Amino acid sequence: MFVLLRDLNRLRVQIGLRRPGSGSLAIRHVDAGSCNACESELNSAANPFYDLQRFGLNVVASPRHADVLLITGPVTRRMREPLLRAYAAMPEPRLVAALGDCALGCNLLGLREEQLDGVESVLPVDIRIAGCPPSPDVIATALQAALAGRGRRSSKRQAVPPPQSNQSP
Amino acid sequence: MKLEVERVPVSRWRETVVERVAGGSRFGSLHATDGGEVRVLLVEPDGQCRLLSTSGRRLESIVEEVGAASWAEREAHDLYGIDFDGHEPMRPLIDHSDGEWRVPVTGGGVHQVAVGPIHAGVIESGHFRFHAVGERILLLDLRLFYKHRGLERASEGAPLGEAIVYAQRACGTCAVANSLAYTLAAETVLGLESRPAIVRARTVLLELERLYNHLNDLSAICAGVGFAAGSMAFAALKERAQRLNRAIFGHRFLFDTVTVGGSRIQVSAPECRQAAGEVAAIVADAASAWRELLFNGSVQDRLRGVGFLTRQQAVRTGAVGPVARASGLEQDARTGSTELSYTGFRPSGLANPAGDVSARAELRHVELQAIGRLLAELLEDGLEPDQASGRLREQRMGCGRVESPRGETVCVVEGRSGRVHRFHLRTASYANWPGLAEAVPGNLLPEFPLINKSFELCYACVDR
Repeated sequence: MFVLLRDLNRLRVQIGLRRPGSGSLAIRHVDAGSCNACESELNSAANPFYDLQRFGLNVVASPRHADVLLITGPVTRRMREPLLRAYAAMPEPRLVAALGDCALGCNLLGLREEQLDGVESVLPVDIRIAGCPPSPDVIATALQAALAGRGRRSSKRQAVPPPQSNQSP
Repeated sequence: MKLEVERVPVSRWRETVVERVAGGSRFGSLHATDGGEVRVLLVEPDGQCRLLSTSGRRLESIVEEVGAASWAEREAHDLYGIDFDGHEPMRPLIDHSDGEWRVPVTGGGVHQVAVGPIHAGVIESGHFRFHAVGERILLLDLRLFYKHRGLERASEGAPLGEAIVYAQRACGTCAVANSLAYTLAAETVLGLESRPAIVRARTVLLELERLYNHLNDLSAICAGVGFAAGSMAFAALKERAQRLNRAIFGHRFLFDTVTVGGSRIQVSAPECRQAAGEVAAIVADAASAWRELLFNGSVQDRLRGVGFLTRQQAVRTGAVGPVARASGLEQDARTGSTELSYTGFRPSGLANPAGDVSARAELRHVELQAIGRLLAELLEDGLEPDQASGRLREQRMGCGRVESPRGETVCVVEGRSGRVHRFHLRTASYANWPGLAEAVPGNLLPEFPLINKSFELCYACVDR
């Protein structure tokens, strides 16, 4: 294991990863009928070359914990209901990201009666990540931009003075 | 590949198929058509394919003797309304309109655990219903097809050369294998004969696809036991393999590299040798990471003795690819291939093909080394574009058979005046899912993700 860790450390130095900013986004992924290429690239965004987690971008297990619903695929008829349920389970404020050309309703193949025209036909989309599939660096860049946008919004809220600590000295 | 079509009277359907399978042919796929035809593709011991065809909306089921046909008969029932006598109970496969879950396991203390269609990680959509006593799994019932896009039917009427996109987009991580299986079938229908330059380019693509997929599978198996260092080491190697794909062929998943009727790929000899060097480096690093896993007691302890698929189960369920080979079957569509460059190929095997997670992981490691040797040879020269010659007679039907990273994928294409009339793709994942359901019972619930990752099947390939 130590050899593996040493190799990974050397790789990190070679790649020269950029320093992360502050804040975080919790992401829940839903596959609504993709070809698996977008999933593969989203998983790759966590590999040592991109290490999405160091930007505070974490894939979480439940929509209850999520800030962003990240959706792949054109939204098949059979995935419409589970997708809407996942969205309904999310706390406000929430963002919807469409990942890949299918989710954006571009160049769809398949039968009209089996699928919708992308995520926009069922949910309001805030973040659009194009590509067939978008490569991990494109995914990382788009999600970091979303994080930066969110950071600006939350910094306004921080104008309110923090509550007094009620711990005794 | 040319397909011998044999008409069988409906009264002799079951008898004939069963006779052939008992006589050494292997069940490949079964599909129905709008015209009420049911067809079975058989793979002969020499690798040639034969199609048995009958007409009728009601026929005798073959599942009792040919277990591998189970999902295909259910699919033909759901999509084409064919009734199979003796297939009891005929449970829906693609049709989800029956909201009720038919409980196949009853008894004291049996409970159900429902998982999906949305899973906890970045995973494709599908539903698993575990029937368990405490943590011990008694039965796993699968409900996939949440991602069904109707690709086969949507391709009907498209020109044979263009319909390749339907095969390619069926699955991103098997894009080369699926589009190549389609291409070999479509070229037979069009009467096109491939040439050596095209054959070599296609073989290179197929092996590069296997390279990044096998690295991905080993990474996933490490993740399945919670061994982050191993998972990340193999994920980094997968990244290098995909970057190589993009550097030489312009796409990380090699999309649009396989074309019907020729090859547009042009890679100079120095570039090829450079690529061969990077492949050799990746494979060497993978071997060193594998050695690390061997010396990690806690990883090995989790891999051994979990998720057994016996040789008999593998044969009965029609398992293919690394899964079948890890259970001791010497089956590989690359053996004796006449349409790709695999002269003298012998399938990888294990000294002890136990059929557990450990065996499936080790088989990936052994095959990675074999991929390195194959690619070193294939990439000695540059790749030149070429056109297939149209010297053969056009056919009504053709078939393609290739070894995808997950095993044998077969495709049948029926053409009519240059267009797709019926296109059927039976991917390796489709063949292997029933085997996964057999390997899980008897294990504990927390072992399931690991067993699942040792199969590493696609959902998109199955749902189409």
